Amino acid sequence: MQDRRAVVITGVGVVNAAMVGASPALGAWLARPRAAACVPVGGRPAARLPEATLAGLIDPAEARRLSRVCQLTIAGARVAVAESGIDPARGLGLVVGSELGDFTSTIAFADGYLARGASGLSALLFPNTVMNTMAATTAIAVASRELSLTLNVPGVAGELAVARGAAAVAGGRVDAVLAGGVDEIDPLVAEMLGALGDQPMRGEGATFLVLEAEATARARNAAVLGRIDGVAWRSLSARPWGVGRRAASRAIDAARARAGGAAPGWVYGSASADTALSAWESRVLRAALGADLPAASLGGLLGQHGGLGALRVAAAAWTARSGLLPDDDGAPATRVSGPGLVHGLARGGGHVALMVGAA
Amino acid sequence: MRRVVVTGLGAVSPFGAGVKAYWAGLAAGACAIRPLTLFESDGFRCRIAAEVPELTAGSPRRSRADRLALGAALEAIDDAGLADADRAEIALIIGAVGGGMLEAEEWYWARARGEHPAPGAALRAILPGSHAETLGHRLGLGGPRHTVVTACSSGAVALAEAAELIADGVVDVAVAGGVDGMTRLCFMGFNTLKLLDPEPCRPFDKDRRGMSIGEGAGFVVLEAVEGARARGARIYAELAGHGMTTDAFHVTAPEPEGEGMARAMRAALAAAGVTVGAVGYINAHGTATPQNDRIEARAIAQVFGEGRVLVSSTKSMIGHTMAAAGGLEAVATVLTLTQELIPPTATLVTPDPEVTFDCVPRVAREAAVECAISNSFGFGGQNVTLLFRRA
Repeated sequence: MQDRRAVVITGVGVVNAAMVGASPALGAWLARPRAAACVPVGGRPAARLPEATLAGLIDPAEARRLSRVCQLTIAGARVAVAESGIDPARGLGLVVGSELGDFTSTIAFADGYLARGASGLSALLFPNTVMNTMAATTAIAVASRELSLTLNVPGVAGELAVARGAAAVAGGRVDAVLAGGVDEIDPLVAEMLGALGDQPMRGEGATFLVLEAEATARARNAAVLGRIDGVAWRSLSARPWGVGRRAASRAIDAARARAGGAAPGWVYGSASADTALSAWESRVLRAALGADLPAASLGGLLGQHGGLGALRVAAAAWTARSGLLPDDDGAPATRVSGPGLVHGLARGGGHVALMVGAA
Repeated sequence: MRRVVVTGLGAVSPFGAGVKAYWAGLAAGACAIRPLTLFESDGFRCRIAAEVPELTAGSPRRSRADRLALGAALEAIDDAGLADADRAEIALIIGAVGGGMLEAEEWYWARARGEHPAPGAALRAILPGSHAETLGHRLGLGGPRHTVVTACSSGAVALAEAAELIADGVVDVAVAGGVDGMTRLCFMGFNTLKLLDPEPCRPFDKDRRGMSIGEGAGFVVLEAVEGARARGARIYAELAGHGMTTDAFHVTAPEPEGEGMARAMRAALAAAGVTVGAVGYINAHGTATPQNDRIEARAIAQVFGEGRVLVSSTKSMIGHTMAAAGGLEAVATVLTLTQELIPPTATLVTPDPEVTFDCVPRVAREAAVECAISNSFGFGGQNVTLLFRRA
C-alpha cells in the first residue's frame, strides 16, 4: 500500500424531507431524530421533499433551466461548499452517487416522442437522460474543474461516492473533493420498484460533504468536522438484486487496515425494511467485528435514496464529535466513544466501508 | 505509485465480436456505419448507425448491452490468461450510460400502446449500474466494483479509475472498459440536438456535418507491472498516465478554447513523466461535429504544437459508441503501439484548414511510436486522456 494523506470533512450540505442545512442543522436533527413526513408516490409512501422547500433553495431563474434532481444536487452541494469556506478555484473534484438518476426527465422525453413522434422530442430534456447531468450542472454551479465522476450503484451510491472522493484526496490526486449522493423519487419509478419487490421506504434528497487533505484544511484554518481514516469497497457474491450467503468482509478489513487497524466502537449500517438484506448485513458485521456493536441506520426515518449513505458519513462525524449515536426508533441516544464504521451493503453485493473519527 | 500495464484486450464492435475483427476493420479503413435496423427511425433526419452485427456472448435473456459487455470482458480475461485465476480480489470498473434501456424502451412502448407487459427483467437491468452487477456475478470478480457515468468519456474514465486502484495498491488486477448498446433515446436525442450526419460521419473534414452513433464494448485487463511480469503475462503496453478534468462550462457544449481538454492532456503527460515529443499519435475523440473537432484540434495544438503529432478518429469507421468509445479507442490505441500501424480517419476527404494536423486520411499508415494517447470527452465537459507507452 502507498503512503496516504489524512482526509477530513470540512463541510456538509443536506437537503431532504426531514432537514435542510449544514452540519449544525444535521446535528440538531440527529440529537432528536424525527421521521420525515411521508406522502404517497406511485402507490407507496415516500419521504418526498415538498416543492415549496425546494423552491426556496434555488433561484427561480436558475430552476427553470434545471431538472428537479439537478436542483436537489446543486442545493445540497452549495450548502456543503459554503460551510467549508473552500475556494473551488484552488482545485475541487466532484463525485456524485446516484441509484436512479433522472428518470423524470427520461420519462418525459420518451413521452414526447410517444405523443407526437419526432416533433415531440425536447432537445432541452435529452441531456438530462444522461446520468452525469447532475454532476455537470453542479460542477458549473460550484466551479468544480478537477475530476468529476458519477457513480451509479444500487443501495450504496452515497457511501461509495464519499469513499471514492476520500480515496482521491488520500491518494494525492486532488486536494479537495465535493462528494455525496442524490436521488429523487418519481411516481412511475416508485411504482415499478414496488412491482420488482423493492422493500425499503423510499426517500429523496441530496447530501454532500467537502473532503480535504488535512494539511490543506489546517493551512487555511478550516473548521474540521471529522476524519475519514480509511475507506474500501468490494463486492460480495450475490446475484443481481439478490442477497448473498457469504459473511466474510474484505471491505471492512481493508478500511480498518487503512485506518491503522483501529476497531470501531459503533456502526452506521444500511439496515432497512428489507429483512433479508438486513439479516445478511448483520451476519457480515458480526463476522468482521466479532460482536454486535451499537448501531444506527436512519434509513427508516429518511427513506432509501442516493444521498442517504453520504448522510450516514456526515452523521458518523457528528457521532464521533458528540459521543452520541441516535436511535432509529426515537429512544434516547446511546453514549459511544472512539471511531465508528459506516457500512453499506446492497442487494447484488455492493459493499462499502468507511472508518470515521473525530477531528 | 505502481506502474500499470495492459495484459488483456477485448472488443465487441460494429465489425463483429473480437479484437481480431475490430483491428482488421480499423486497419483496412472499413466503414461499419449502415442503415439502422434495431428499431424504427421514421421521421428522423439521420437513419444510419454502426450496429454490432451479431451477439455471441451471454444469454438472450440478458440485455443487449450486458451481452456486449460480457463478450468483450470475457475476451479480455481470456486474453490475459486469467481464465482460471483466483478472481476474489480483481476489480471491475465499467463505464456505461444507456444500461438496458433498449429493453426498457420496448417495455415502455408496449405500455404506451395499452398493453400490460411485466416489468421483470426489462426494468431490473435498465440502469447502467446493472452492468457491474451482472458482469461481477457472471465473472466471479470480488474486488472493488462500480459503474461510472461520465457520458461519452465513461469508458476511458473506467480505465483511469482501475489504473488508480492498481497504482495505489488497492488491487493488483482490474478488468475495466466501456459499453453501450444502441437505444432509441440516444438515437432520438442526438437527432433532436441536430448533431447527427445523415451520411457516415467525417471527422476533421471541412464538410463534416455531425456524428454517427455506434454501439459496442471495449475492455482491458490492467495489472501492476510486477505481478504481470511475475506470472509471465504478455504485456501489450503501459497505461503510463491519465488526466481527468471538467470544463464547468456548459451541459452539452465544450468550452470553446479547449482549456479543459488541454488540461487533461497535460495532466496525463505529467503523470506519465513524458514529454510531448514522446507522443507520436493521438486517437482523437473526433466526433465529427463541427464544434468538437475544431476545439479538440485547438486543444491538441496548445499542448503539442500545431502539426506535431499524428491524429486520427476511429469513429470514422465505427461511429461514436458512446460510453464504449473510451474502451474501444483504448484498445485501438494499444494496438497502434504493438502493430506499429496508425488507423486512419477513413472518411476524411477534404481536411479542415482549421485542423492543423495530419489526420491520416482514408488509409492506415505504418509508424512506430513510443507513446500514444486516447482522448475522450463527454457531455458536461468531462475530459479524459489516457496515455499508453510501448511495453
